[in-house]
Amino acid sequence: MELKIIELKERFVRFSISDITPSIANSIRRTLIADIPKLAIDKVVIHHGQIRDMENHQYDSSLPLFDEVVAQRIAMVPIRTDLKMNFREECSCNGQGCALCTATFSINKLGPCVVYSSDIKPVSNPEATIADTNIPIVKLGPKQALLISADAVMGRGSTHSKWQVANGVSHKYHREFILKKNLITDWEKYKKLYEKSVLKENDKEIVFTDDYGVRGVAQLFEFPGVEIREENTNFIFKFETDGSLQAIETLEYALKRLPQRLNIMLDSLVAPD
Amino acid sequence: MIIPVRCFSCGRVVASDYEKFKTGMDKIRSTGKKPTDAEIEKTLDDLGVERYCCRRMILSHIDLIDEILPFS
Repeated sequence: MELKIIELKERFVRFSISDITPSIANSIRRTLIADIPKLAIDKVVIHHGQIRDMENHQYDSSLPLFDEVVAQRIAMVPIRTDLKMNFREECSCNGQGCALCTATFSINKLGPCVVYSSDIKPVSNPEATIADTNIPIVKLGPKQALLISADAVMGRGSTHSKWQVANGVSHKYHREFILKKNLITDWEKYKKLYEKSVLKENDKEIVFTDDYGVRGVAQLFEFPGVEIREENTNFIFKFETDGSLQAIETLEYALKRLPQRLNIMLDSLVAPD
Repeated sequence: MIIPVRCFSCGRVVASDYEKFKTGMDKIRSTGKKPTDAEIEKTLDDLGVERYCCRRMILSHIDLIDEILPFS
């Protein structure tokens, strides 16, 4: 088994794993989607009634959207996460909520304006910042104001999509297109166009692959006399994250998490009496 | 109403990209032309909105928050 990183950005990774079965590939995919922990806002307290500013102007707390819609939108915002944080139910505070398991945030905004995710200010944990500052939460009219305090806790994607770190997780077989040079006369054009995707070449044949995500290389599928070879032991994965964790952190965690979960299952097995 | 924060199908954050998409389209419209299919495609590609589930979130959205704002 060998893992090779093909492409790595802060929020995107493409990698290959060789000598695994389709079921292992799928379990890695499912771990990436539903089993990576991250911070997300879970409890929101919305101030109702009149709000006053410094010059004693009065504002109203009524909003164009329902409170629960606003709460849901705030929860969906990605927050940069430190994986060392505890889950609340496993924390030493016995689920009370402390600095080790909770990050608090606040919003204080006077209309007319658009409230963006950059207006969600971290209070207790200055490192838990908002990863995407450009998300519109709600629009406020004149004489409207928003005063909110919110608690973020750790969770996993299997509970709610606000705790989902990786999106667009997919895997496919490693695939080769073998072009016969005597059948396709302008092969040199494609060699130049998809230079990155050429695996090997000899006098009679030229071999392309679509592993590297080069756009347009899939058109070689339909050429006459192209032999397509797939291996069901060699998988190409790709996924992106929402910014709460880096792509490489997410991958490392997922690969550690998978054997952990299998051990949980092994430990729970009891021999029949 | 207002653009959903995440894509319904895959969970990618699309709300911030919608704002950028809108400014891109407004820029083209300010020259007096309607954005062509190729221009829309290129704007979405440049934003990194790759999958069609996220693309439909942006393309099919109508912002109605300004219409209901006076009634809150």
